[in-house]
Parts: sequence; structure tokens; C-alpha cells
Amino acid sequence: MAQITLEDVSFRYPGATEDTLYGLDLQIENGEAHALLGASGAGKTTMLNLLSGLLSPTSGRLLFDGNDVSDLPGRERNVAQVFQFPVLYDSLTVAENLAFPLRTRGVATDMIDGQVAYICSELSLGKIRDTKPPSLSLFEKQLLAVGKALVRPDVSLVLLDEPLTAVEPKIKWKLRQTLLKVQKDLGVTMIYVTHDQTEALTFAERVSVLSAGGILQTGTPTEIYQSPANEFIGHFVGSPGMNFLPCSAVPSTTGDRIGFRPEWAALVDEGHVDGTVTRVRVYSTQDSKAHGLVTLMTPHGEVFVRGNAEFETGMKASVRIDRCVTFQGGNRVAEIAHV
Amino acid sequence: MVLIVAFSAVIPLMTVVNYSVQDILDFNTRFFVGFDWYRETLNDPRFIDAFWRQIGFSLTVIAIEIPLGIMVAKGIPKASRYTPLILILLALPLLIPWNVVATIWQMFARPDIGLLGVSINALGIDYNYTASPIQAWLTIVAMDVWHWTSLVALLSFAGLSAIPGPFYQAAELDGAGKWQVFRLIELPRLRGVLVIAVLLRLMDSFMIYTEPFVLTGGGPGNATTFLSQYLTTMAVGQFDLGPAAAFSVIYFLFILLFCWLFYTSVISRDET
Amino acid sequence: MLALANLRLNAGCSEGFSHTFLSGQITVVLGANNAGKTDMCRFITGLSTPARGEILLDGEDVSSMSPQQRSVSLVYQAFVNYPNLTVLENIESPLRAHSAPAAARLTQASDIAAKLQLTELLHRLPHELSGGQQQRVAIARALAKDARVLLLDEPLVNLDFKLREALENELRELLTASNTIVIYTSSDPRDAFTLGDQLLLLDNGRKLQSGSPVDVYRNPNCLRSMELLADPFVNRFLGDGSECAIRPEHVRVDDKDHSQASITFEMQVTAFETSGDESFIHGQVADHDWIARCQGMKEITVGSKLALHVREQDIVRF
Repeated sequence: MAQITLEDVSFRYPGATEDTLYGLDLQIENGEAHALLGASGAGKTTMLNLLSGLLSPTSGRLLFDGNDVSDLPGRERNVAQVFQFPVLYDSLTVAENLAFPLRTRGVATDMIDGQVAYICSELSLGKIRDTKPPSLSLFEKQLLAVGKALVRPDVSLVLLDEPLTAVEPKIKWKLRQTLLKVQKDLGVTMIYVTHDQTEALTFAERVSVLSAGGILQTGTPTEIYQSPANEFIGHFVGSPGMNFLPCSAVPSTTGDRIGFRPEWAALVDEGHVDGTVTRVRVYSTQDSKAHGLVTLMTPHGEVFVRGNAEFETGMKASVRIDRCVTFQGGNRVAEIAHV
Repeated sequence: MVLIVAFSAVIPLMTVVNYSVQDILDFNTRFFVGFDWYRETLNDPRFIDAFWRQIGFSLTVIAIEIPLGIMVAKGIPKASRYTPLILILLALPLLIPWNVVATIWQMFARPDIGLLGVSINALGIDYNYTASPIQAWLTIVAMDVWHWTSLVALLSFAGLSAIPGPFYQAAELDGAGKWQVFRLIELPRLRGVLVIAVLLRLMDSFMIYTEPFVLTGGGPGNATTFLSQYLTTMAVGQFDLGPAAAFSVIYFLFILLFCWLFYTSVISRDET
Repeated sequence: MLALANLRLNAGCSEGFSHTFLSGQITVVLGANNAGKTDMCRFITGLSTPARGEILLDGEDVSSMSPQQRSVSLVYQAFVNYPNLTVLENIESPLRAHSAPAAARLTQASDIAAKLQLTELLHRLPHELSGGQQQRVAIARALAKDARVLLLDEPLVNLDFKLREALENELRELLTASNTIVIYTSSDPRDAFTLGDQLLLLDNGRKLQSGSPVDVYRNPNCLRSMELLADPFVNRFLGDGSECAIRPEHVRVDDKDHSQASITFEMQVTAFETSGDESFIHGQVADHDWIARCQGMKEITVGSKLALHVREQDIVRF
């Protein structure tokens, strides 16, 4: 476990005209569960590769517990990585796979056995200890990959590169739960890279939102969700993202625009902005009434409201905004908890 | 499609089988002799000698070409500007007609004017492949290795290129050494490709004719007379169609047997 | 109208199923990974032949026709485009196959490209585009074919979260515009509600239930049907001797309205996660694994005991 610091880190691929990552400043505490959230092309993979040692920063420094590791190769950094698909040694059993990172470092056999047993019980891999990966399910394989990354007791950092990608949607939550539990039990510094904001917000203590090679905001999931630093984050986080209206629509707000999340508003007869219902998506029922997402077309554009979905397309309705965030020039000005 | 296979394969095959059970003196004078020719061939000492020589040759070349091919493949950079050039150069020996390969080596290995022959003799070793059976063998094996290692190398390169980057990355982070990477990541993933390579080399080397015939003529004596050459002598030289046909069928069955044994052992391992 | 009659998806099925897909509607086919969704797509396009069953398109039996003869197009999970043709040429390719005149081809292709926001990329090659753009090209190509049946086999599963969201919105409008029969397969229940006019549930090659998403949601005909539409799973318990089930979103943590008949359960909380607009509370209720889904970001301590309320009308009994 280590404290990870990025000091003004930039990276440019050889032959490229622009930096892929520029001026990154980030400090991740020892034992923290941190998520890097960003779309494809934002630079997540590059950042991951800088942390694992596959790449070295073009400028700036990378520190593990205060030690400059910027030019250290991967094998000397004490980092482990879980990839998008299970990366395992197919000819070794589960127990042998787990033991491998310890054996290559010359750890004593009884210590290896102890660690392997510990990880097996943490991740409930006991029953399949002597099986080889080709006979395991995808979930079990990825679980083994996680175990392999955690087996070294002195591992500085565990990197997870969209680890739920290959797993079936219905089982994703199981792997998520296991990761959370194991991170807390072992106190390992984990950096979880993803484009899925549900994964980022459910896993992390703190989230860094990455876009176009720069970190836009670092904060707790609540901070990122409820007070995004700028409009991009307001839109990117949340499904669907924030609705934006000019401040003029809601008196008592100052700035260019206000942003409000679909569940921070309700459709009433007399609200702040009128519109026509263009689409109703019912996702569940509450008290036997349809509940879901209603799309309203207003003079300022489309607005999504989550809640009561007992509407038909074509009906007239009005949006009452209960809570919002104000923005000026794209950046957050104030949070208004009660409009 | 079926008709083409019928004409090009099935009918000639049936004709040979037909001949193998008859004693043919001339086109109109034939006697049915049943399995006599088969018995005679299998007990023929020269056949048995040629057979063991053949086995020895096939196993030797495979034992050299497979590891050597893999090593060459590992040496080819995966994404360099020179990669296509290297691959083309490697492919060249495979494109040369087989009798030309043998002729090249015939001249190359000549103790009087060949580059190889003269060099070895200059080192003090008395080298003359037409006179010494061991040197004839070594020369033929060297020729085959030169000719066919590229096939294994190219197939292995394709197999290695298909291994996703993360496997190497994970091995690096695990602290794995080069040999462990080879044994645990590359070799298991090359298995499919190697099966094809071994199968091809096994069949081709078992049927080898042109190169040893041109290089050594089967000599000195019988030292490098392999199965196919003996068969040809019998069929074309001596015009013993009956025994030759029987020989052919036996030859064909051997090759089929090897391939089947190899195939099933691989498939059964695949299923575990 | 596309009718499947007595279709046996694989040799292991003892009985076939029948279903009718209507024009101008998007039918979402929902099922787990090996439920038979891709097999069904392949049978409808003609890429493989079913063990038994007939496929009728607008009353005509197309079961023995080759894919080229059928008016069906398919969009794959992997972004499949002709790598050496530009975006424009890719979209034009089905039009070229039907020998349409060049000017008409160009107009039609450009129109479709505009609908999918590909106008600026018309002269690029597929490998120069991002995943989302490549998939849009594949969809444009399928639309250009203007087939009677458009099959989309989990087309958005390899795309980024936000991109998927954006495309889902666009797709719905695009696909319902024409009178095409649209079949969209997925393993994610959210897609059923986001995109589907009709729903078809498949499990192990069998048809479980069909109907509008809301109807199937309200009245599942068996536990498996309920499970397929639940995210992540269904909470089960034994009530009055029968198997009962309740959806995660119907488990309430605070119940202010006491006018409705409800049952109270006690949960031992084992885990908690929040994704901004929703929170998931995992725990044990009477030896069963339960999950409660609530709105908003709540503060729940792991290890505590929580009172959960369930309305009678939300309980499904089997």
C-alpha cells in the first residue's frame, strides 16, 4: 500500500503533435479506493500505463510514498493490474496462479501458502483451488485475476482497467461487491479506471473525472454528483446527465445557466418552464403507478424529469425545479439546495 | 466438386489398390495374388531399412526445425518498419522449387568448389558428403532445415502476434522471467499453430524425394535412400507394378496412421 | 409482419416456440448470455438453419431462402464495416448491390448519413473512426439496405456508457420512423424499457413471455420472467407457504404512507453502494440475499439492522 502522487505529469506519444496528458496533479492516499472516470480517448489508458510502468512521463514526476518511480520499470514498482478480460496462466491451477507473483520474488514457501490460503478465503476461491482457468466461468476467472493482483502483501498499488467489462451484466454487481469488500479488508490502494459512472461512483471513496487529457475535478462521489465543478461533469455524470436551462428561467438564480438533475425536478401544472411531453420511458412502478423518465420539449430544448411517468406524449406539463447548481462560463458558481 | 475429387484422388487410389493385389506381367496377363505382395514388401530387408531411415530423418528434422523456427519467430520484431521485409526474406526458401533447392545445396556443399564444402575442409575437417554416410546425412538434414524452418517460423510468428499485449504486461508486473513467459504464455498459445507445423512437416518429410535424390542419389550406397526413393526405383526402375502398388498402399497407410495418431492426441488434450 | 412458427433454437429444445413481430415496432428480445438470442438472429437472417421451424415474412415462407434473397439486415455487436471502403461507400454498398443508379445512391446514402450525424466523416475509412462512429456506420449501412426486417444484436454493448446513452436516444427515433420490423437483442433489462415497444423473453432457447415491457413487468408469468426484467436480481421469500418475490425497487426503506397494506422485513445490511441517483442496499433477510433499491444517495451503515417495507400489491406470488 502506498500513497500515490502525480506531480505536474504530462505525456506525449513519440511522433505526436500534442500531449495526450497534460499537467496532471493528483494525490491518492494510502489505502484509498480511487476511480478515474472518463470517456474513450480521455487519456485513461495512458494514465494507467504511466502508473503501471509501461510508459514513462514526458515531464513531471510520479511518486510512490514520496519515492520517484517515474523511470522505474513495471516489475520494480510493486504494482499489480487487473485487465478488461481475465489475464491468467492457463496451464497453472488457481492456487499456482495465485502463488506465481510471490514465487518470482523468491518469497518463502510457507509464506506463499499462507497468502494463497488467505486470498482463497477472502474471495471464496477455495472450492476451485486446484482447477485450471479454462474450466472456470468468466466471473471466476476475473475473480482469480483480482486475487492474483492482491496476493502480494506489500503491493503498492492495484490498478483495475474496466474489470467488469467481460462479466455478464447480472453478475457485475457481485464482482463489484467483492472488490469493495476486499479493498476495505486489505486496505490496498486501488485505482479503478472506467467509462461507466455507476461503477466509478459505487466503488470509489474519491473520483477524478478525466477529459481530453486533464483532470477536471477530484472529489467524493457525492461531491461529483451533487456539485459538479463544471457543466461537462454535470452532463457526463448521471444517466441521463444534468439538464441545462438559462438562468432567466428560474428567478433568484444568478449566472449563465442552471443545471438540475432529472430527479431534482417534478412535472406539475404550474412550474418554472412549460413544455410538451415528447417521450415517456417507464422503468418501474411505484404504488402501482408508472415511474420513469419523461422527456419534455421546452422552448430552451429537451428536459428530462425522473419520477411519476403517468403521462402521454403530446400532453402539456411544466417543470418545477426543486434543486439546482448555477454555472457561469461553464463553471460552477453556486449550489441551490432549495429553489 | 465431388467429381473432381473422384477423378483426381479416388479413382487413381482404387487403381493402385487394384494393382497391389495382382501379379502383372503385362497389361493383359494378370494373376490375382491376394496379399502376397504385401507380405513380401513388409518382409523385404531393404524396405525395412528404408523405413527406419525415413523415421530417423523425419524425427531429426522436426526436432530441429520446430524449436529453431520458434526461436527465429521470437526474434522478429512485431511492429517494426522492417517486419514485412523480414517476413518476405524468410518466405523465400519456401518458394524455391525443390529440385532447385537440392541443386543449390549440391553445389554449395561440393568439397572442391562449393562455399560450404571448401569452408569446412579449410577448417581441417575432411568433408565429402558423397563419400561419408554420416556427412551425407548431416548435409541432407542441413538442407531440409534451411528449406523448411521458415515455415515453422512464419506460422509461429503469426501465432505470437495473436497474443494480446496484456499477457506480457501482466507477466512483467508479476516479475516473470523470459523463460517463464515462454513456457506459461507463449507455448500454450502456440499449440494450435505448432500442431499444424508438425503435421505438415511430418507428412512432407515422410514423403521426401526430390532433394535427397538430387543431392546424394540415395548414396553413398543406401545411406540416404528413403522410402519414396526406394518405391520409385521399384515401380519405375524395375517396373514391378504389383509390389510397387502394395508398397504405395502401405506407405499411404503409414502416413495416414501418423497423422491420425497426432491428431487424436492433440484433440483429446484440447478437450480436457 | 415476421412470424416464427414452431422454431426450435437448438437440438436440446423439446418444443418450438412461435412469435409474431409487427411492422413499425421495436421488439426487444431479452435473455441471458446463452438464451438463444444470437441463434434466433442467425436463423432469421438465413445464416444458419434451425433444427425445426418455419420463418414467414409477410406471409411468405422464407425458411429455405439464402440470406441474399431475404429482405433482412443485421447489425452486429462488433463494429463490422468494409475496412477498405470509405464511410460513404460503406453506406452505399447495399444500394450498389441492388444496382441503383449512382445519383440516387448518393442522395439516399447522404440522407441516411445525415440522420446518423456522419456527414462530416463520409470520406474517412472505418479504422480512422471511434467505436461509436463505426457502429453508426454499420447501422447506416443496415438502414440503407431498407430491408423489411432490421436485426440489431446487442449493438451498443461495446460502446462507452455515455455514447450508449446518446445512441439509444437517436436509435429509437430512427428505427420507428420507417415501417420496418425492428428486432433488438439485449441482456440488459434497461434496454427493454428504453427502446422496446414489445418485449420477448428468451431462456435456454424457449420463449418465456411476450408483451409490452410494462405488462411483462407488472405480470410476470414465472419467476424466471421476473428475474430477467430485474436489475440486478429478484428478492425471494416464503409467504403463507408459497414462493413470493419482490423487485428491488419495491423494497422501501422509509414508508410514510401507512394507508396501504404492507409487510415489514428486517435486513442485516452487508453492503451499500450508491451511484448518484440511486442507492443499493445489500443484506440478508431471513437467510435470503436481498437487495433494496432506493432513490437518491442515502447514508446507511454496513452491519446495521434495517426495517424494510413491502406493499402487498407489489408482491408477486407463484
